[in-house]
Amino acid sequence: MRDYWLSKLFFDLQSSPPLGEEYRADRKKILDRYHLGPEVRAAVERDDVAFLAARVNPYLLRFYFVVAGMPEAEFLRKVRTAGAAAAARSSHG
Amino acid sequence: MAKLVGVYASSHAPLIVRGWKDVSPRNQQDLTRAMTELGRRIKAARPDVLIEISPDHWVNFFINNLPSICVGMGEEHEGPAEPWMKECPYKKIAGHPRLAHHIVQTALEHDFEPSMSHHLTLDHGFCIPLWRGGLDPLPPIVPIIFNDIEPPFPTVRRCLRWGAMLAEAIRSYPEDIRVAILATGGLSHSIGEPTMGEIDEPFDRECIRHFEKGDDSLVDFLNERLPTIGNGAAEIRNWIAAHGAAGKRGFELIGYCNCPEVYVGCGFASWNLGAAA
Repeated sequence: MRDYWLSKLFFDLQSSPPLGEEYRADRKKILDRYHLGPEVRAAVERDDVAFLAARVNPYLLRFYFVVAGMPEAEFLRKVRTAGAAAAARSSHG
Repeated sequence: MAKLVGVYASSHAPLIVRGWKDVSPRNQQDLTRAMTELGRRIKAARPDVLIEISPDHWVNFFINNLPSICVGMGEEHEGPAEPWMKECPYKKIAGHPRLAHHIVQTALEHDFEPSMSHHLTLDHGFCIPLWRGGLDPLPPIVPIIFNDIEPPFPTVRRCLRWGAMLAEAIRSYPEDIRVAILATGGLSHSIGEPTMGEIDEPFDRECIRHFEKGDDSLVDFLNERLPTIGNGAAEIRNWIAAHGAAGKRGFELIGYCNCPEVYVGCGFASWNLGAAA
């Protein structure tokens, strides 16, 4: 499943370094420009890697968290935990 | 008539540039040796034009318009846009519109329908192997983008046929020029997925053995195994197209480096086209 506007946000941020700077300075101002559903926007605001990973291309996810300034070790930990959680959900039907 | 004078493949891990200082001295040495040798072989083939097959890492295309295969027809392409590629010497890259047009025409006559672009930006996938291989100045480049990034992907068998068609397009091109092909990407790696950072060296080694064997077991192997390997391995489709262009013969490994610092099982290869080349 792909969330189009979430994908568009991530795509725009990795395409434009000035937009990335603006985003790091004032996330809310940029998020207001995108038609994100309330759950999606909340997930972006709390850096919920697992929630977002299910809705965007993995390369865009990775680029986004580089632009957003998340340390690499933290991203790796969160994306791996997201996988473990998804596996646990699927093994429980 | 044009002549196919070389076929090559190379990994293009971004961290070869962005995180080079964190790569161990041993792996730096192995990668440098392989990339330098690849560049040396390309230069020795003296191509007048280099056709490059690489994915687009969300630089030219987005999910509102995402071609499976796109041929770059432009007189000129932009160099890489990634901020961490700013030291790359290629700011503007010459194209070869006449050969690109002939490739698209030949593709259509063979029942392929590629997209066309008259202005592409060539990202790290195109530029790292050329840069690190020491190709400066560059020959004119005809870029061909394969979608290896956002599923569903072109089938492995289709990519093999694309390569054979590409060789036919070169053979039937009326100008007397030397043409080489470089496919980039792979081998096993995983980006932005729960398995990010995992390299499957046994898969990579088996994949290399199948390329060396040169029979159709490679297609069955990849059809079975690619869905179980990290998303970056989808780029092996580009190697498959190169393999098809070389007539599925003559694969020679230049180097393999299981390099966790760049998250990629890095492979470098060329195809021996025989004395006729």
